[in-house]
Amino acid sequence: MLLQRRLLCTQVPKRSIHPTHHQNSNLNNKKWAIKQVTKSNFAETLEEIKTHIFNSDFIAVSLQKTGAFSSPWQKVLPFDTAEVAYLKAKYAAERFQVLQFAVCPFSVKSSKIIAHPYNFHLFPRDELKMGMPSYSFFCQSSYLTAMAQEGFDFNACIYDGISYLSRAQELAAKDRTGNPLPRSYMKPSQSPTVYSVADSMFVDRIKSRIKIWKRTCQDSEKKTEDDLISTLRKIVSGGEVFGSRPSLSIDICSERQVQLILETLQEFTDLVPLLVPAKVGGSQAIRVVLTSSKEDRNVFEKELQLMEEEHNMQVRGFREVVDLISTSQKPVVAHNAINEFAFIHSKFIAPLPSTVDEFRSSLCSVFSHIVDVNHLMREIGPLNKVNNLPAAILYLKRRFTRPLHMEIPQHIDGDEVRVHGRDVLRISELFAKLCLILRIVPESPEADYSTSSSTLECYANVFNPCFISSSDLLDDDVNISTEKTRRISVANLVFLWGFRGMMSARKLKSLLKGSHEVFSGEIDVRLADRNCAIVVFWAPGFAERFLKVMNSGGTNCEPIKDMISEGLRAACYRTYKRVCELSIWEPSLADALEKALEEASDLPEANSEEELPAICWDNDELTNLDDL
Amino acid sequence: MNSSSKFYGTKIPVVRMLVVMKNLFTIRAFHKSLISLSSSTRHFCCSSSSSASTFAIKNVTKSNFESALNDLRLYVKDADFVAVDLEMTGVTSAPWRESFELDRFDIQYLKVKDSAEKFAAVQFGVCPFRWEPHRQSFVAHPHNFYIFPRQEIKGDDTSYEFLCQTTSINFLAKYQFDFNLCIREGVSYLSRSQEKEALGRLNARYKDRLLDSSSCWREGVDTKLVRVADILFSERLKNKIAEWHDGLLGDRNGASQTWKTSNDSKQQLKTIFFKMRPALDLTGFTSHQLRLIQLVVKNHFEDLVYACVAGESSSQQLIVYADSASDRDLLMKELKDCLCKEAEMKIKAAIGFRHVIDLLSSEKKLIVGHNSFLDIAHIYRKFIGPLPSTAKECVISIQKFFPYIVDTKVLLNASTVCQKILKKSSTSLSKAFALLCPQIASGVKTSGLADKRLVKVEVQVDNKRSLNWNSGAKHEAGYDAFMTGCVFAQACSHLGVDFTLNPSSVDLSHHEKLQEYINLLYLSWINGDIIDLKTGERKTDSICSKGFKAHHSKILFSNTVLLWGFPAKLKASEIRECFCKVFGSSSITFIYHLDKTAVFIQFSKEELVSDFLVLKETLERSNDPISVLHPLSKVLQGGRTRAASYEVYKQICSSTISKVFFADQAEAVGIEWNAKLSKPVLEVERQVDFEASENQLDTDARNETEIVSGIDPPLYMHSPTDELDSLCPAEAQMSK
Repeated sequence: MLLQRRLLCTQVPKRSIHPTHHQNSNLNNKKWAIKQVTKSNFAETLEEIKTHIFNSDFIAVSLQKTGAFSSPWQKVLPFDTAEVAYLKAKYAAERFQVLQFAVCPFSVKSSKIIAHPYNFHLFPRDELKMGMPSYSFFCQSSYLTAMAQEGFDFNACIYDGISYLSRAQELAAKDRTGNPLPRSYMKPSQSPTVYSVADSMFVDRIKSRIKIWKRTCQDSEKKTEDDLISTLRKIVSGGEVFGSRPSLSIDICSERQVQLILETLQEFTDLVPLLVPAKVGGSQAIRVVLTSSKEDRNVFEKELQLMEEEHNMQVRGFREVVDLISTSQKPVVAHNAINEFAFIHSKFIAPLPSTVDEFRSSLCSVFSHIVDVNHLMREIGPLNKVNNLPAAILYLKRRFTRPLHMEIPQHIDGDEVRVHGRDVLRISELFAKLCLILRIVPESPEADYSTSSSTLECYANVFNPCFISSSDLLDDDVNISTEKTRRISVANLVFLWGFRGMMSARKLKSLLKGSHEVFSGEIDVRLADRNCAIVVFWAPGFAERFLKVMNSGGTNCEPIKDMISEGLRAACYRTYKRVCELSIWEPSLADALEKALEEASDLPEANSEEELPAICWDNDELTNLDDL
Repeated sequence: MNSSSKFYGTKIPVVRMLVVMKNLFTIRAFHKSLISLSSSTRHFCCSSSSSASTFAIKNVTKSNFESALNDLRLYVKDADFVAVDLEMTGVTSAPWRESFELDRFDIQYLKVKDSAEKFAAVQFGVCPFRWEPHRQSFVAHPHNFYIFPRQEIKGDDTSYEFLCQTTSINFLAKYQFDFNLCIREGVSYLSRSQEKEALGRLNARYKDRLLDSSSCWREGVDTKLVRVADILFSERLKNKIAEWHDGLLGDRNGASQTWKTSNDSKQQLKTIFFKMRPALDLTGFTSHQLRLIQLVVKNHFEDLVYACVAGESSSQQLIVYADSASDRDLLMKELKDCLCKEAEMKIKAAIGFRHVIDLLSSEKKLIVGHNSFLDIAHIYRKFIGPLPSTAKECVISIQKFFPYIVDTKVLLNASTVCQKILKKSSTSLSKAFALLCPQIASGVKTSGLADKRLVKVEVQVDNKRSLNWNSGAKHEAGYDAFMTGCVFAQACSHLGVDFTLNPSSVDLSHHEKLQEYINLLYLSWINGDIIDLKTGERKTDSICSKGFKAHHSKILFSNTVLLWGFPAKLKASEIRECFCKVFGSSSITFIYHLDKTAVFIQFSKEELVSDFLVLKETLERSNDPISVLHPLSKVLQGGRTRAASYEVYKQICSSTISKVFFADQAEAVGIEWNAKLSKPVLEVERQVDFEASENQLDTDARNETEIVSGIDPPLYMHSPTDELDSLCPAEAQMSK
C-alpha cells in the first residue's frame, strides 16, 4: 500500500506536453511518433533500429544532458578557438550525464524525409557492480527542471533506463572479472609446446581422466539407468551438465596448465573447452563439454556465440546502438557537434584525450562523417545568427519555400504523447532542407547517396566553433564580411578585469577610449562574463602595446595608472587558453585568469613564437553577452 | 539518512576500508532480515486492519508548503524535541573519499565537508515530538519534505549544481523514491548567506544606478531603426502617444477633448492611473516592439517616463506622465523603490524550505538525529552558509544555530541498558527501532510488565491519529525521522528519564540524565571518533568507546607516507617487499590501499619517511645502473610514481576537485612531481580498532583491498613495542 501511494505521486502530468504547444515546425501537426526506449523494450528495438540504420542515408543524433556549463564563460563562446572550445566541451562531458539519447536514421528522397526516430532513456546503472559506467555525475537543477516541464519521467529513467559501458570500460571490465563463462569459448593456440616431464605427467593424467569420463557418459547414454545410479556415476566421474550436454570441470592452478589442457583436448573432436573465470582474474577451471557429433558441436558453438552476444549486450547496453551507427559508416548529423560528440566519446568510446587533434582523430576512427547542422547553417550567410533549431527551421521555411514532407513510417501503440527526443527530428528536417539548398543531396530519387558523398565530405568533421567556412580556412587574414563577421587573430584580443563594480561594455569602452592612445583606434569591448571584458584591437600591434602599458604599471599614463591602482588587470589570449588547459574552472573568468597568471609566473615563458590562430568576430553574436 | 542506509546504500559497493567494522558486517546481514521483516510488517498491516493504522505520512511539496509550515510552527513550539533526517543524492564523491581508518580527525571533517558541499539533499524529514501527560504518551507529527535546489533568483549558478552518486540514486530508487515529485514539486530554498548576498547585490544595483534607471532595460538599448517596419511602427506609436499626451494637457487646460483611439489600439493602450499620475498601460506588444516604444518615449517626450512594474501575474509596461522635472524625479524614485521592494519580495519568497530550519533554530529545540554529523553538515551548507575549513569552527558555528543536538547513535552505544537490549548488535536505525520499540515497529501489542517500560508514541497526521502507526517506508526521510524520535524517547526512558512523573513536559535539553550525551556527534563512525560540539575538540575520554575497544593500535601519521601513480597491478605485498629490501625487513608497519592507484605506507620510524623521500628523489634524478637495479625501481617504474607525507593527503582531501582515482586527483590538485616534504604535524596517536579486520575479508573487500600486515611472525619477536599483532590474522587470511 505504501508502494501504491508512492506510485500515485509518480504519474507524469500530461497536460502540459500537448504537441500543439510547440510551434515553429510542421512536425506539430502530427503525432510525435518517436519511439521511447527503456530497458524493457531495448532488445526488440535494437533489431529494429539495426535495419533502419543500415537502410537509411543519414543518422541524426541528439542528446539530453543533466547540465552544460557551470558559469557563463564556460560555455563555448564565439571567440573561442577550436582548442579552447574542445577543452570546454570536454570539461562538460566529463562532469555531466546523458539521460536521453535520440537517434533518427533518415533518408531524403526528392521532397520527402523518411525518418525513424527513437529516443533511448539512459541511466548509468552499475550493472556489473564495478563502479562503472560512472561513479557519480553532476546535475544542474535548471536542466532537470526544464526536463520536468517537458514531462520527462525521471522515475522511469532511473528505474528502467538503459545502462552502458564505453569501449574502454568494457576492456577494463574484461580485465577485471576475467572472462565470464559463456564468452570464454576459445580455440587453443597453434604453436606446439615443449613438454617437461611434469607436463607430460599432467597431460597423461588429464587424458585418462577425460577418457574415463567420456566412456561413462557414452555408456550411460546407451543404457537406460536408474536416476540414482546415474547421479552417483556423475558424482564419481566429476561430471556435470552444461545445458543438455554432459560436461566435466577440471580445476587448474596455472595458465600453463590451461595451455596444456587445451592442447590435449585438440585430440578430441567432440569436446569443447570453456574457461571458468576466477574471481580475482585469470581462470580457475576448465569446463569440458561433450558434444554428441560434429553437427552437434557446431550447434553448440553457435549456441555459445549467441550466449556471448547476449552477455555482451548486457554489458554494452546502449553502446550497441552507438556501435551500430559506427559500423554503418553513415554520416552522423548533429547540432553543436563538438558538445554532442565530446559526450558521446567520453561515455561510449573512451576517456577524452587532452587535445582537440587527438579527439578529432579518435572520433574519426569511429564515425567517418560527422556533419554539424550549425556549420551548414553558417554556409547560408544570414543564418549564422540562428542557433536555435525551431527558429532556424522557421527561417528556412520562409526563405526557401520548397516543400519538404516528413514521413515517419513507424507506428506507435498507445496514445501517450511522445515528445521526448523531438530535437532529433528537427535536426533531420533542418539537415534535409539545408542539403536541398546547398545541393548536397541528389534531388532525384534514383541517384544514390554515394554520388553526393563527395559534396558532403567538405562539410563533414568541422569542429571549429567560430565556424569558419571551409573555403576560408586557407586564407589567413582575410576579412569575411558576411554581415558583421570579421576575422581577427587572437593576438589582438585582450581580457580585462578588475574594473569597478558592474559595468556595461559601453561604459567600459568609453572609459578606455579616454585613457590611452592605444584605444584611439577602432576597438570593440564586450563582456565575457559579469566582471571580465574582452577588448578587440582592430589595428594590429595595439593589443601588445596596451599589454606593455599594463605591465609597466601604467607609466606615463595617469588614467591607466589610476585604473590599475583600483585593481584593473589584463591578460592576453594565451592566458585564457592556459586557463582551459589547466582546467582552472573558477566560476568567474576573472578569478580563473588571475590564477592562470599566478601559475604562469612560476613557469618559464612559453614559446611565444607559437602561431596564433584566428577567430571570427561577430558583433551581433556578442551583444547578448551583455545580458549575462 | 540513517546510518544503515549510509552503509548499505553507498559504502558496501566499494568496501575498501582497512578495517571494516564488525558492525558493518552485521548490519548487512541484518539488513536482509530487516527487509523480510518489513515486508512481513507490511503484510501484517494489510491483513489486520484493527491493530496498525496505516494512513500516509505528511508529504510536503511546493503546493502545500505554506500551510504545512504554519502547522509545523505550532507543533515545533510545543515540542519537547524534534527529530530530523535527510536523504541525499550521494555520500562520497570518489571512492578514496570514503571514510578510512587512517583518516585523521581533521581529514574526517574534510571528507564530510566535501560530501555536504557536492551532494544535494532531496528529502528532509522533520518530526516534532510532544509529551502529553494526560495521555501518558508522546504525540509525533512526522513530516516528509521534498526539497530541490531549484534556482528561483538570479545569482551564483554554481550552487544550483549538484553531484549524484550512481549507487545512492539506485539506492533511493530501490526504496521507491519519487524523483519526479522531487524535481517538479520539491520546495526550493535559499541559505542565509545566499539571501544576504542576493540582498547585497540588489542594494548595490539600486544604489549604483543613476536616476534614469527606471527602465527595466539595460543601457545598451539604442537599437537602431534599420527595418522599415520598425520605422513605421515607431512613427505610428509616436503619433499615438503624442495624441494621448496632448489629450492629457488638453484636459488640464479645460478643453473637453477626448482621446480617440481605434478599437484595436484601445486594447493595447489603456489609460490608467499609476501612483496618482495618468499612465498608458501597454499590453499585447512583443518585446521588440516594447523596446521601440521605449526608444520613442525616451527620444521624443520629456515629461513621459517609460516604466516596467510588477503586476499580479506578469510585469506591466507603462508610460507614465510626470508634470514637472521634480515630479519626474519623484516618480523615478518611487519606481526605483517599487522595483527594489519587488526584488526583495522575490528574494524573501525564495527562502522556501529554510523557514523550517529557521524555525528549528529560533525555537532552540532539542534536535535529535541518528549518526547525524553529515546531516547537520548538509543543513549548515544548504541553509546557513559555506562550511568553515576546520571542524572546530564548524561545530562552534553550528552551536549558535542549534544549541542542543543529541545523536541516538551516540546514545545507544554509550548506554549500557540500551546495549543490553540491542544485544550488542548493530546500532543501525531500523534495527534499533525494531528492538527498542517493538510495539511501534511491528504493531505487536505486548502486555504486562514488559509493556510498562515502552514509551507510547501516538502519531498525528492532519486529523488522523494512531498509537501504532507504521508507514513502513524505510529510507524515507520523514519516516526515518519518526523512527529516530521513537528510539530517542525509548532510550531516554531506559536512561532513567521518567516522562510520567512530570505534570507538564520535561526539559530534555537540560535533563541531568542526558547531559553527558548532548552535543556529541560521531565525526566518523568508522573510526568511532566523537566530536564535542561545545568545544570542537575530539572527545578523548570517550563515553561511547564501548563499541570500539579490544586490540588497539596506534596510527602514527608522522610515520606515514602516501604513494601513488606506481605501476598498475603492483600489489601491496610487492611494494612491501621492495621497501623491506631497502629499509630493512621490520621497517614497514603496514601498507594500505586507498584505491588501486595509491597506498599508505607506515614506517616503523619517523626518520624513514624523509629517508625514503630523499632516496626516491635521488633515484629519479640519476639514471645510472645503480638506480636502475635498485630494489625501489620496481615501484618507481614508469616515472609517474609520487610520494608525499601525510600532510599532502590533507591538501588533496581539501580540494574541491573529485577525480575517481586518487592518482588522477593528486595530479589535478597540482601536487608537484615530487611533493616537498612538508613538516608533518605531530598528531596525538590515534587508537584504532584492528580487531574487526578479521571480518573484513568478505568477498567484496578481498578484490579491492589488500592488506599487508606489519610484522612477519619471527620479526615480531624482535619488536615487542609494536602493537600491531592483531593484524596478523588478517594477513593469515589474505595469504589463503
